[in-house]
Amino acid sequence: MYRGFIKNRDADKKESNKAFVEAKDEKCKKANGKTAIKAVMNLQNKFCNNRFEKKPQNLLFRFKTLKMTMVFFFSVLIIAAVFIFLLVSIRYTEDRILKNSKTYTLQMVEQVNTDIDSYFSYMENISSMMVQNADVSRYLFSENSSAAVREETREKVASQFKTIMETRPDITNIAILADNGRYVIDAGDKIKNTYADLNNTDWYIKAKQANGSTVLSTSHVQNIVQDDYPWVVTLSRALYNPTTGKIEGVFFVDLNYSSISNLCKSLHLGTKGYVFVIDENGGIVYHPRQTLIYSGLAKENITAIQASKTGNFVTHEGKNSKLYTIYTSQKTGWSVIGVAYVNELLQGREETQAAYIVIACVLLLIAVAIASILAAEITKPIKILTRTMREVEMGDFDQEVPVDPVPNEIGVLGKAFNTMTKRIKELMEQIILEQKQKRKSELIALQSQINPHFLYNTLDSIIWMAEGGKNKEVILMTSYLAKLLRQSISNDDEIVTIEQELSYTRSYLAIQKMRYQDKLEYEIDVDEASGQALIVKLVLQPLVENAIYHGIKYREHGGMIRVYTRMEETRICLFVEDNGQGMDEDQVQELLSERKKVNPNEDSVKNKQVDRHGLGIANVNNRLKLFYGTAYGLQISSQKGLGTTVCVTIPYEKGGV
Amino acid sequence: MRKDKGIPLLFLIIVLVLIVGIGSGIYLQRKSEQTYKIIFVSKSVNASTDFWYALMEGTNAAAKDYNAEVTTVGPDSESDYETQNEQIEAAIAKHPDAILLCPADYEKTAKAAEKIKKAGIKLVLIDSLVKDAKAMPMIATDNYAAGEKLGRFMKMWITNDTQIAIVGHVEGASTAIDRIAGIKAALGSDSDKIVRIVYSDSDYDKAYEATKTLLTEYPQLSIIAGTNENSAVGAARAVKEMGLAGKVHLLGFDSSKEEVQLLEEGVFDAIVVQKAFNMGYLGIEATIESVQGKKVAAQTDSGSKLVTKYDMYTEENQKLLFPFW
Repeated sequence: MYRGFIKNRDADKKESNKAFVEAKDEKCKKANGKTAIKAVMNLQNKFCNNRFEKKPQNLLFRFKTLKMTMVFFFSVLIIAAVFIFLLVSIRYTEDRILKNSKTYTLQMVEQVNTDIDSYFSYMENISSMMVQNADVSRYLFSENSSAAVREETREKVASQFKTIMETRPDITNIAILADNGRYVIDAGDKIKNTYADLNNTDWYIKAKQANGSTVLSTSHVQNIVQDDYPWVVTLSRALYNPTTGKIEGVFFVDLNYSSISNLCKSLHLGTKGYVFVIDENGGIVYHPRQTLIYSGLAKENITAIQASKTGNFVTHEGKNSKLYTIYTSQKTGWSVIGVAYVNELLQGREETQAAYIVIACVLLLIAVAIASILAAEITKPIKILTRTMREVEMGDFDQEVPVDPVPNEIGVLGKAFNTMTKRIKELMEQIILEQKQKRKSELIALQSQINPHFLYNTLDSIIWMAEGGKNKEVILMTSYLAKLLRQSISNDDEIVTIEQELSYTRSYLAIQKMRYQDKLEYEIDVDEASGQALIVKLVLQPLVENAIYHGIKYREHGGMIRVYTRMEETRICLFVEDNGQGMDEDQVQELLSERKKVNPNEDSVKNKQVDRHGLGIANVNNRLKLFYGTAYGLQISSQKGLGTTVCVTIPYEKGGV
Repeated sequence: MRKDKGIPLLFLIIVLVLIVGIGSGIYLQRKSEQTYKIIFVSKSVNASTDFWYALMEGTNAAAKDYNAEVTTVGPDSESDYETQNEQIEAAIAKHPDAILLCPADYEKTAKAAEKIKKAGIKLVLIDSLVKDAKAMPMIATDNYAAGEKLGRFMKMWITNDTQIAIVGHVEGASTAIDRIAGIKAALGSDSDKIVRIVYSDSDYDKAYEATKTLLTEYPQLSIIAGTNENSAVGAARAVKEMGLAGKVHLLGFDSSKEEVQLLEEGVFDAIVVQKAFNMGYLGIEATIESVQGKKVAAQTDSGSKLVTKYDMYTEENQKLLFPFW
């Protein structure tokens, strides 16, 4: 098939080349100069394109064997399937992990936020305690008390502050400031920075404006204490003068970052992840890299964070992609932001991927191995069939395809092939046999044409007649002999008309009549229609010869030979009848017996002569059967002393038209 | 016969892909694990000077960020170039990937810097220059520009009989040279009103004494500028002590708690603050980049800012004046 295809393709190519040349010639004749060149180029393109268009048909034929084709396409299919599965599963795993991480971190960040809220609630409680503290207002706002009493109340306030400071290391400063200049800072041992401009300070102004509720500042530098400039978050609250009912002072607590930092650090978001806090204006309150951020060396995308008050978003920065989880507190307005590196969240992703890939490769190897085994298994019977066919093609018909007891399609094919081979083999054997028999019978026919004894005898008779001066008879006999010989030798056709056969027989009988004179009488009675029918040659003459030598010759008064025909529907019967001595049943059987075969090595002339006649009849019978089939042939009916009738049955075939 | 070649080929391809994949994975993992050894030879490791402290905080922060191993060495005194030269020699002997150098002296450190280059060690300069510092990338405050900022601010007090004095820090140090040049450039024709330039060798007491002398010598002196923290604070102490705060306009460089307090008090009218932390951070960053073979700009300005009494507590300036740590 493949070769056939190539051949066809080559033929196509030739065809197309031819067409190309012709078309080129034609175009050249029509056009001239540049246009011709252009036209040729166009044509070339066209033909080239044609050739390319044919190429895809090659795809299925790229592999020489069916097995390789199957292995290839199986492999492609498996690889594609595994690859898609790989992509999908990796993708899905990542999505799943990320989704879980989002929920998880949101919960954690919310927890941190709650902790910070409760931290500030605690600080608010402290502030409430202080604001309502009688000593505080007495010290700050009482106008009438003596210096000693005032100092005493101051000491009381300071000692309370001291207690708070001692229990809370996260409090940097705790202080009350009154507009009248009285103040207590920490344990009362700190001096107010005289250069600090409170009316330009955020936490101070806001506290006064907030009508007694607590105000939380962002991170800032606290400069209220002399010689100290710490970064703190300030929680401030206005102080009312109980006598005037007006706001005349501020209470504040400065908080360092230890508590917030501890709260933020309590949340572990991988080794690189971190937590930071921003205020409602987007200012950084706490960040583990605050120095870098304040120095402008690091940045956080505050705008994006502020855009989503509570929730998650992922930044896409390749290896540094981060998951931001934001939770904004209702209480403080601050947002706690958890930052986790996507890389770390998907930790082990690379190992998982590697594992996936390794598994996929192993699967591939196994699958391809199985595919090739499968392909081999499927194509094995085809291969066997092909091999057997090739051997049969080479002439070895003994090959047989092994077929399963329950055959599949290929098994059926093999079975059919086996049957076919067997049949061919039988037919061939039959042909060989028939050819052999035909050749043999032809040889015998050739031998049976003219009996040499008959020839000697005839020639002797002619000599005798010539010596006796019977010129007339000599001429007649010689002319009959010549006719007989001519008919016998010159006619190459195997099949002749009955008329021709009869004419040959007549010549023979005429010669015999001259030899046996009155002892032989004959009569030929054939109508014209029968004469036109066809018959294998040299059938009648041997029968007649037999009738003379075995029937009439031994009768003292001679005998009569009759030849006649009878037409039946599909066949013709030729009869050769004599009234000679006749035969018994055994002799008849012997006459027709095939056992008497001509042995070419038998050089005994006598034997040959004896056997000849009998053999002649058997041979005629065989030839008839060979030619027309077993339904046709000779029938002999004979009675001792009364004579013999030989009947030749042949199918009716009209000839000579 | 073809099929027999085909199947092993397929197997071969699959196995090859496997090997290449795993191999490259291992290679990439190894590459990312590399750490660099860097020696930072500072001009001073005196952490009580805010500038040096901030600078070292910067280098440490960058070392942490870039996972580099940074060793810091340096003399106590800024003017001790001899000790520094010895330390440079010792650093070369350790064969680090790179040396980040803050040269003590423009001329006297040049030779040592050249030695680093000759040893095949990457060199990045920080804060100050050396002579013939071609092909040595430098991270520093643009001192000339910083000087100009100061000079421009100064101009608002200048009248015809204004007298200006400058208390420089180290004569011959590139920072001092550039800052003074910047001031002069900003003053333009008024630069002839500079009556004296004295040097304090970066010592409070020397600066204090020198300023006292100046104020006695030039009673009409109305503007004094100190070119670094020590010089400026020293000068401020003298001015404050002599009760001239508010009468003599005082301008300074760098910041420290004392300097900030003096600014808050109004002794200083303005100070130009360098971003020392940034300088240190960017210095290590540039050093690592040069080790990695990336192109590093010949000169990187780490920045400076003029801060007055009135804007010292703005969100931006408090971050600058009061480093967060």
